[in-house]
Amino acid sequence: MKLFPDDLLYSREHVWVRVDGDLATIGITDHAQEKLGEILMLDLPEVDSYVEKDEPFGSIESAKAVVELISPVSGVIISVNEDITDDIGIINSDPHDTGWMIIVEMDDLEELNDLLDTRGYQDFVIREAEVD
Amino acid sequence: MGAWRLLPFRKADAVENMAVDEAVFRANIRNKALPTLRFYGWRTPALSIGYFQDFAKEVDIGACRRLGIDMIRRPTGGKAVLHDQELTYAVIAGTDSPLFPPGIINTFRIIGSCIAKGLMEVGIRAEMRAEGRATPDEALGSSCFSSPSRYELLVGGRKICGAAQMRSHGVFLQHGALLMTFDPARTCTIVLPHRDREEQVRSLRNAVTSVGEQAGPPVDEETVCRALRKGFEQVLGIRLLEGVLTQEEEELKSELMTKKYGSENWTKEGCKSWISGL
Repeated sequence: MKLFPDDLLYSREHVWVRVDGDLATIGITDHAQEKLGEILMLDLPEVDSYVEKDEPFGSIESAKAVVELISPVSGVIISVNEDITDDIGIINSDPHDTGWMIIVEMDDLEELNDLLDTRGYQDFVIREAEVD
Repeated sequence: MGAWRLLPFRKADAVENMAVDEAVFRANIRNKALPTLRFYGWRTPALSIGYFQDFAKEVDIGACRRLGIDMIRRPTGGKAVLHDQELTYAVIAGTDSPLFPPGIINTFRIIGSCIAKGLMEVGIRAEMRAEGRATPDEALGSSCFSSPSRYELLVGGRKICGAAQMRSHGVFLQHGALLMTFDPARTCTIVLPHRDREEQVRSLRNAVTSVGEQAGPPVDEETVCRALRKGFEQVLGIRLLEGVLTQEEEELKSELMTKKYGSENWTKEGCKSWISGL
C-alpha cells in the first residue's frame, strides 16, 4: 500500500516537500522508491551549494539505471541527510521521514504553487500509470 | 506505425560517443522529439565505468595507458566495460511511450527483446532470464559482464550484451554493448581488482560470449546493424528513418565533449556541477 502523507507537497518528478517557513525538506516519494526498486547508490550535493527549480540536485542508482533527482524549488542547501550515506536502505524503507535528502532555504515561496497536494499527486500517479 | 529516428553506425572516440548519447538525451528532454535509436563503434578501444563507480578502485590506469586504451565515465549506471570490437546501441525515448511499460526493468526487457529478435537474423538464439544468472562470480571483479543483471541477454548461459540506463524528466537513455569479439585476458588486465589471473580469465571466458563466437559464418557490424534494425522495427512495430543530429544536438555534443566527457575531473571524480546551464 503506497503512502501519500497529507502534510507534504509533491512534484510531478516524484519528489516530496515538507515546508516549514522558508525551509523545504525534500526527498523522493514512496511511489518513486517503489518504482525504482532497491536503491544502491546516491549522490547528493554539498551543504551551501545552490539548487535551481527543475534542475537536478543529485542522482540515485537502481538496477543499473542512474536517475536524476529534480529539485522542486530554488535555494541554498542548508542541510544534507548524512544518515542516508550510512544506510541507503532508509530511502526504500522510510522515504517520507528518515529518508529525507536535503533541506533548502527557499528563494521564492511562490514556486510552491506549482506543486501538488496529496489528492493532486494521487491523481497524477494514476494518470501517469494510464499513459504508461 | 510510429516513426523513430535512426542514427546509423559510425565509429568515434569515447568522448564523442558519450557526448552524442547524452546530447540526444538532453535535447529530447527539452523538445520531446522522436525517439532515437543509434548504433556506434569505437575508433579507439576504451574502458568505460559506471556513473557511480570509484575510478581508482576499478581501473588499472597504468595498464590502460600502456595498451592505448582510453578511459571514460558513462552517464549511466552499471559496471566497467571494455569497448573494442563491439557494436554499441543507444535508445533515447520518453518514459511515457506506450511501447514501454512502466519501470526500469521493463525498459531493459523490451529493448532486450528487440536485440534478441535481431540476433536471430544472424543465427544467434539469445535468451533473457528474468533473474539473470544465479550468482555473481567473485573472481570476475568489477567487469560489467560479470554482473547477473535481470533481463540481460545470454547465449548458452553466457552474457552477450550488457546494458545500462539514465533517466531524467520523463526521458530515458539506454545504451548497451553487443560484443563482436571478446578478449577476457585484456579485460582482466585493465579492470581492478587483480586477483588470480588465470582464474579470472577462465571465469570471464565462461561467463561471456560474442557475436563472432556464436554466429555461423563471420558477420560484420553493418550486417548486425541491419539485423538489429529489423529486430527493433518488428518488436516495437515502428519505422526507423535514417537521420542526423540536429543543430541543437550538435551544439550540446560540443559542450558536453569540452565541459564533461573530455574532462579528467569527470572521468576520475565524477561531477554534477556541469549540469546547470545545459
